[in-house]
Amino acid sequence: MKRYLFALFVILGSLILVAQAQAQVIVIANSSVKTSEISKADLRDVFTGNAVSFPGGGSVAPALLKAGAVHEEFLRTYIGKNDTTFRAGWRSLVFSGQVIMPKSLDSDTAVVDFVVHNNGAIGYIGKATAHEGVKVLTVR
Amino acid sequence: MSIRRNLSVILTVLAISVTLYAQEFKLGSREVQVHGFGTQGFIHTDDNNWLTMNTSNAGSGAFTDFGLNMGMQIRPKLRIGGQFYDRKLGKLGNWEPLMDWAMLDYHPRPWLGFRVGKVKTVLGLFTDTQDMDFANTFALLPQSVYPIDLRDATIAHEGGDIYGKEKLPHHLGSVAYTAYGGRRADNMHSGYPYLLSSFAIYLTSYGGPVYGGDFRWNTPVSGLTVGISRLNERITGKGTVGGPVVPYQEYSKQDWTNQYYGKYAKDKFHAESEYKRYLRNQSIFNDAFGLETDVRGWYVSGDYRENNWLETGAYYSHYRISPTGSMLFGTIYPDAQLRDYDKVVTAKFTVNKYAYFKVEGHFMDGNASAQYPDGFYSNVNPKGFANNTKALVIRTGFSF
Repeated sequence: MKRYLFALFVILGSLILVAQAQAQVIVIANSSVKTSEISKADLRDVFTGNAVSFPGGGSVAPALLKAGAVHEEFLRTYIGKNDTTFRAGWRSLVFSGQVIMPKSLDSDTAVVDFVVHNNGAIGYIGKATAHEGVKVLTVR
Repeated sequence: MSIRRNLSVILTVLAISVTLYAQEFKLGSREVQVHGFGTQGFIHTDDNNWLTMNTSNAGSGAFTDFGLNMGMQIRPKLRIGGQFYDRKLGKLGNWEPLMDWAMLDYHPRPWLGFRVGKVKTVLGLFTDTQDMDFANTFALLPQSVYPIDLRDATIAHEGGDIYGKEKLPHHLGSVAYTAYGGRRADNMHSGYPYLLSSFAIYLTSYGGPVYGGDFRWNTPVSGLTVGISRLNERITGKGTVGGPVVPYQEYSKQDWTNQYYGKYAKDKFHAESEYKRYLRNQSIFNDAFGLETDVRGWYVSGDYRENNWLETGAYYSHYRISPTGSMLFGTIYPDAQLRDYDKVVTAKFTVNKYAYFKVEGHFMDGNASAQYPDGFYSNVNPKGFANNTKALVIRTGFSF
């Protein structure tokens, strides 16, 4: 009986940790962006080059992280691709003349700085990063 | 090219990929992005020489291409860009650098955009992205629909596009369209001029007006896209026949392509299928003869990403040509010359975010060598064709 309780404890603990890990990434946008929420499908379109504007209107300028746990978590949770296929998708759009590659930044604070200073900018950061001056978007 | 030389080229390509990163520089107050890609391939066949290379002895590594791209966002809805492309594929390409595309893009609304200049042609799923080998699982796209030796025929047009995307109400997905018009001008180191050279016809120009469109629907079924493309052309070829002084001309009386396609993506799995029909009714030899070429090709492909470094895939590619016309003088081709049914398995290994290599096997039934090119040319098969061909393709590349 003790063994089953222990296994249940481990499973529940793991689920809580997974849920917490997924909550570590937040999506932020420039204060000029009209909407305060975005669907998962629209977010995926914006970050894969399939949308040039927000659902409610206005040009969108996505900012990417170059690497790291937050970047991997964002791709896994919202895009459904690994970093290699994600960047290959963007490059094929660039090489066929359909887009300019979005900014790739070194750190969460660089993403916040970019989003604060550019109209229509949208990015993702770790929840613990200070993000004054930007709007946090709820992902539906 | 020896196997040792091929191996050293492949290792060099992989080494380059470690040192290359996308670059940016300032032009006034604006940033100019620089990106590039390159590939090196090696093909060995058990019998027929393929894709204008001498593949059937020790194999051939005369299979190289690269591109260099620059782009700049001038305003939020206005950007400019261009790309150089160069390749050597056996007797094709000949290292002649090409302006792959160069254009101005104005996109004022999601549903309305304009491109002007030399623009990549949207035709089916992969015509405009067929050179981006890094984005594909397969070393060679299905040759029934995307023949690499005829790349120049449909890759781009000089003219303009109108394009856009729009969401549909009631959760019906979204639609995207492209309409275009302009002019096509083929490189003289492409498959069709090379084929004609085996008949002592040497083209100096080949091209003409083109127009067409593409319409695709991202359906409410997550990951499922279906679409249709149409291309109309009026092509004229000029050159000489038999020697430098006898002029030669051919032109198309009817020249069109229809392509129907669908693709499905679910997590790590992708599947695609396309059907293409290409019909060309020509007047050749200075109006002396007529020739009609009716090509029908289709494929079904699937690939799966096993983990971060391995993707596997397979496809079946079905090509069939039906030539008719007074030029044939009643010739009846053996069936093997009218078909190429290709069964393919592949593995793609990701080295890092910039580099990869692929190993692929082709098992071809038929050589489709009648009248119009699809990989097999009498120029490099002077003793005739075997019915079946097995091919090993190794391809490595990088992008940044």
